[in-house]
Amino acid sequence: MALVEVRHLKKYFEVASGTNHAVDDVSFKIERGHTMGVVGESGCGKSTLGRTIIRLLDATDGQVLLDGEDITHAKGRELRRLREKMSIVFQDPYSSLNPRFCVDETIREPLEEARRFTRAEISQRTEELMDLVGIEDRLRMAYPHEMDGGRRQRVGIARALALRPDFIMCDEPVSALDVSIQAQVLNLLMDLQERFGLTYMFVTHDLSVVRHISDEICVMYLGQLVETAPTKKLFDQPLHPYTKALLSAIPSIDFSKPMRRVQLKGEITSAINPKPGCRFAPRCLYACDCCHEPQQLEEVEPGHFVSCCRVREIN
Amino acid sequence: MNETLLTIKNLHVQYTSGGQIVRAVNGVDIELKKGETLGLVGETGAGKTTISKAILRILPDPPAKVTCGEVWLNDVNLFDLPAREMLEVRGNKIAMIFQDPMTALNPTMTVGNQIAEVILQHNDISNKEAMKRAASMLEMVGIPAMRYMEYPHQFSGGMKQRVVIAMALACNPELILADEPTTALDVTIQAQVLEMMINLKQKMNTSMILITHDLGVVAQTCDRVAVIYAGQIVESGTKEEIFNNPLHPYTIGLFGALPKLNDDSKRLSPILGLPPDPTNLPEGCSFNPRCPHAFEDCTVGQTPEMIEVTPGHFVRCILFRKESVHHGISRSQTS
Repeated sequence: MALVEVRHLKKYFEVASGTNHAVDDVSFKIERGHTMGVVGESGCGKSTLGRTIIRLLDATDGQVLLDGEDITHAKGRELRRLREKMSIVFQDPYSSLNPRFCVDETIREPLEEARRFTRAEISQRTEELMDLVGIEDRLRMAYPHEMDGGRRQRVGIARALALRPDFIMCDEPVSALDVSIQAQVLNLLMDLQERFGLTYMFVTHDLSVVRHISDEICVMYLGQLVETAPTKKLFDQPLHPYTKALLSAIPSIDFSKPMRRVQLKGEITSAINPKPGCRFAPRCLYACDCCHEPQQLEEVEPGHFVSCCRVREIN
Repeated sequence: MNETLLTIKNLHVQYTSGGQIVRAVNGVDIELKKGETLGLVGETGAGKTTISKAILRILPDPPAKVTCGEVWLNDVNLFDLPAREMLEVRGNKIAMIFQDPMTALNPTMTVGNQIAEVILQHNDISNKEAMKRAASMLEMVGIPAMRYMEYPHQFSGGMKQRVVIAMALACNPELILADEPTTALDVTIQAQVLEMMINLKQKMNTSMILITHDLGVVAQTCDRVAVIYAGQIVESGTKEEIFNNPLHPYTIGLFGALPKLNDDSKRLSPILGLPPDPTNLPEGCSFNPRCPHAFEDCTVGQTPEMIEVTPGHFVRCILFRKESVHHGISRSQTS
């Protein structure tokens, strides 16, 4: 059974100019021990999706299942119990750590919050966690401003692991880091996953990172899920016109193959008061009248879902 | 294409911060030909942006100080120019594209007027003529001229960056300094902007220094590449040389740390350790504490000299000295 299942999840925000359909009818599953990459451009709702799943935001409609249990409306004590099973690693290791907490305090806070460990247990576990993510013991009393971005992100990861969660939502965890440091953190995340059988949802806009770390990938555009497939399949054979354009736009370090970019017209519009139908249609090369009807996510091949009414004609 | 446009000789820049001296740029030499694009690659704090600001003489002094060096544009040393004449160079002969289009534009001025302002500053023409030229610049970067009177907040990120580019190109500069011009943009928009920059550059035969940490962007846009580490160029050469045959252990490390789109290996090979503290650079080669090939000679004395390994391909590493044993490092050995 899938560890995380999302069914027709919706998250709308009321804004001055209308309703922002940040996440609109998204469904997918993440198997235990797998990594689901979520890609898309800024403002496509990928972070909102992640935060709604781990209950930092309340869903407008739809369901989130963790280990078969509907957690969409969990409250109070039940929600506290769930919080121990899911955690988050934030994008910006500069603003996601309390500047007045040293490493030790940051990591022990969730353990104290859980209200079921003795002092000795907390100290021991904190030490274990620091060791696990590779923070030297001499930094135990260091404050965030004394550490570089890579180390800060390691502290963020240790905090996320404190209560031995099953599921970690990684929200652009390496975007703020330099390449050489980024590789260290990606390796750490993959080692931890192997060791503890963790399940990740990995939100990023960096397609080469997502290809490296994910088992399956969801591609989002303006709040809608346009395509989901196993990583290799998605990169070898993208079916949705947006996925094709997105993959072709990555500047390759192989300059013998110049970019053969699928030309996209126009700019990303917004998800505020959208018209029914495919939101990518105004920029799509293949758009026709049927694209203005609501689209269904269709299983084109086993495990490969696409939301495009013309998917069979254009491929 | 063979005429030299810009020559930087032995540039040193220091910042004073809390009584400590931060050695940001430590002896950089760059030669740029007309029509050529040079990619300046390096990590945060390597000194890339400081170099470009030093060229334009817009470093805040204090805390920054150019302690040594010359910057020649054609046959003028920019560091000798009086401040008034320098105004004629900025925006006119050398233009800069900043990283963040959200903060590079004035939020209280219409985008058209911001472009016209640059044109008026450097040309003796009427307001009306300047506005006409500004409108045609907007059209050139693919923004309808009817949006001339709109404000930056009415534009998307990609369009704002195009306005910044239109502003940089408005006076037909000889040199463009592009500081991470597409880092703040999404991939599909980045591809549009890069393509547009390449086309415009070719049309006007402008030279460009492109500062970036994205090796993919370099591969798609540059002719030559200089890799910078701790304020020094550690390797430079044609794009083909650097990508196909990287020599400096740092360059090799950068390629190894990059998740590749056509590679299925499950582990990356990060560069060990951290970038050096610029207030306290290591003796000898600045990269020696992180280098897998370092030996005693690397940790003493001055930083190594640049060595020309093949014509046009320079590397700052004593492993490539003629008299030293050839260690024969290759990408496969380190990754």
